[in-house]
Amino acid sequence: MKPVVVAVADAIHSVLRDTGREARPIEPPMLLAADLGLDSLDLAQTIVLLERSLGVDPFRSAATSRTVRTVSDLVSIYETALTTGGSRA
Amino acid sequence: MSPNTQATMKTSTSVPAPSALLEAPVEDRLAAAIGEIVRQAPDRLAIVAQAGSDARRSIDYSTLAQAIAALEAALDAARPVGIVARATRVESLVVIAAACGRQHVPVAFLADDSRDLVGELRDWVELDDSLTLPPAPAGGRKRLEFETVPPQVIVATSGTSGPPKLVDHSWESLLAAARLSEQWHGLGWLLVYDATRWAGIQVWLQALLTGGRLVVPASRDPDVVARALAEEGVSILPATPTLLRRLLASADPSLLQKSVLDRITLGGEAADAAILRQAQATFPKAKITQVYATTELGEVYRVADGGPGFPATWIGKALPGGARLSLRRDGELLVRLSRDTAEIGTGDLVERRGDRYEFTGRRSDVIVVGGAKVYPKRVEELVRGVPGVVEARVYGLPSAVTGELVAGEIVLAEPLPEGHTPESVRAAVLKACRDGLEPHSVPRILDLVKQIATTPAGKTPRKPRV
Repeated sequence: MKPVVVAVADAIHSVLRDTGREARPIEPPMLLAADLGLDSLDLAQTIVLLERSLGVDPFRSAATSRTVRTVSDLVSIYETALTTGGSRA
Repeated sequence: MSPNTQATMKTSTSVPAPSALLEAPVEDRLAAAIGEIVRQAPDRLAIVAQAGSDARRSIDYSTLAQAIAALEAALDAARPVGIVARATRVESLVVIAAACGRQHVPVAFLADDSRDLVGELRDWVELDDSLTLPPAPAGGRKRLEFETVPPQVIVATSGTSGPPKLVDHSWESLLAAARLSEQWHGLGWLLVYDATRWAGIQVWLQALLTGGRLVVPASRDPDVVARALAEEGVSILPATPTLLRRLLASADPSLLQKSVLDRITLGGEAADAAILRQAQATFPKAKITQVYATTELGEVYRVADGGPGFPATWIGKALPGGARLSLRRDGELLVRLSRDTAEIGTGDLVERRGDRYEFTGRRSDVIVVGGAKVYPKRVEELVRGVPGVVEARVYGLPSAVTGELVAGEIVLAEPLPEGHTPESVRAAVLKACRDGLEPHSVPRILDLVKQIATTPAGKTPRKPRV
């Protein structure tokens, strides 16, 4: 399996491409909304794409209540889910 | 059909006289029609099974009549409280229906996905393709002491919009839509529907009541269906828009050209203008009729003017079959079958477009994205219009962020139009959706697939692929 950080970047790239926006380098400290322009639909799409590539959806369980503001927030949520084996699809 | 129209009808030598047929009690008509055809033309072909394949086999009317007589005798002796038809061959289902009708034994047809419901039919006896009643259990079997008047016929709903359920019918309602006038006699009918569901039962009853030939393709594979159409001289094709679309998109065009179809009857789902145009272009001689019917209501109306939906002037008026249509405030189509019955919600949403009402989809199919409604059928229509796309389906995926998310699958043309690649077609679909739809309606997940799955009833499924 590819590293989580790569999977997250790939998913965001796909979202930008599918919605007709320009590709751009994605860095962990970037803010999803302010820097990358991702809205709730984009986030929902990213989560489905990550479920496909990583096999987990940590947002399905109520346990995931932390806010997701940056790329690295997203990465750490998936890393935690993968190590605890939570909410495997 | 009124007695007046029957009186003016000529009788034919090769098919049963409708007057003789209509004298029989309604539950007896199938057996009576088959018996009448055997008297006139004993070796007339009744059913072609496994059509379009090397396993093709044919059954004539006298073979059916003999099997009906044998089963009738067995039912008469055993008097079971009811028969659950477990048979998989169409000819067995026909024999079971005819013999049960004549012997006044209630009969249930359970499709594969409704087999769990058999528990509701305690004490009923299951009958498979052997057409032999199983031996009675020790202590005997519960017997049918009083004849059910009229005998019931139980059919399961397709479960498109919920779990399947059993619906109780009379032979009267089962035969209500059958066309018995002479123009319908002796024709070739294709059965692409499941033979145990309402739509399928309608087709085989119609074919065999009128001395016709029932052609059952070996599978729903488009080439097999096209071969069955061409090789068996089928003249009438009842199908869902989904099955017809798949046939037109994927079958060998030279096989389609050989067909002598003169009628296509669409039902089960709403047909959009594009599929109506496409079908007319492929089968220029065929008359295309859309039937609006449900397992619960039976047939409500037919439209044959080539347009989608139905004329707006129909709302509030009594239609030829006696039904009246009206609208709920949210656009749901309501049906009142007669003055004495209540208005029934159909679950189908319609919208006025010009001088017609067109279907926007089923209420249960609506996808809710962040509180906003998406009608998958409308998205599909747009997607199918993109060059390089032959089939599409749109459905809702659950999402923790937005409730649901619009997802879709597309099947690409083979070969693709020049200058197109799978990636370019996919990008064009997304762009067409962005340009033509609200942002929440644009599919966020779009997969290229070899084939769109269909439900057992031949419809486009609205659930994620499992």
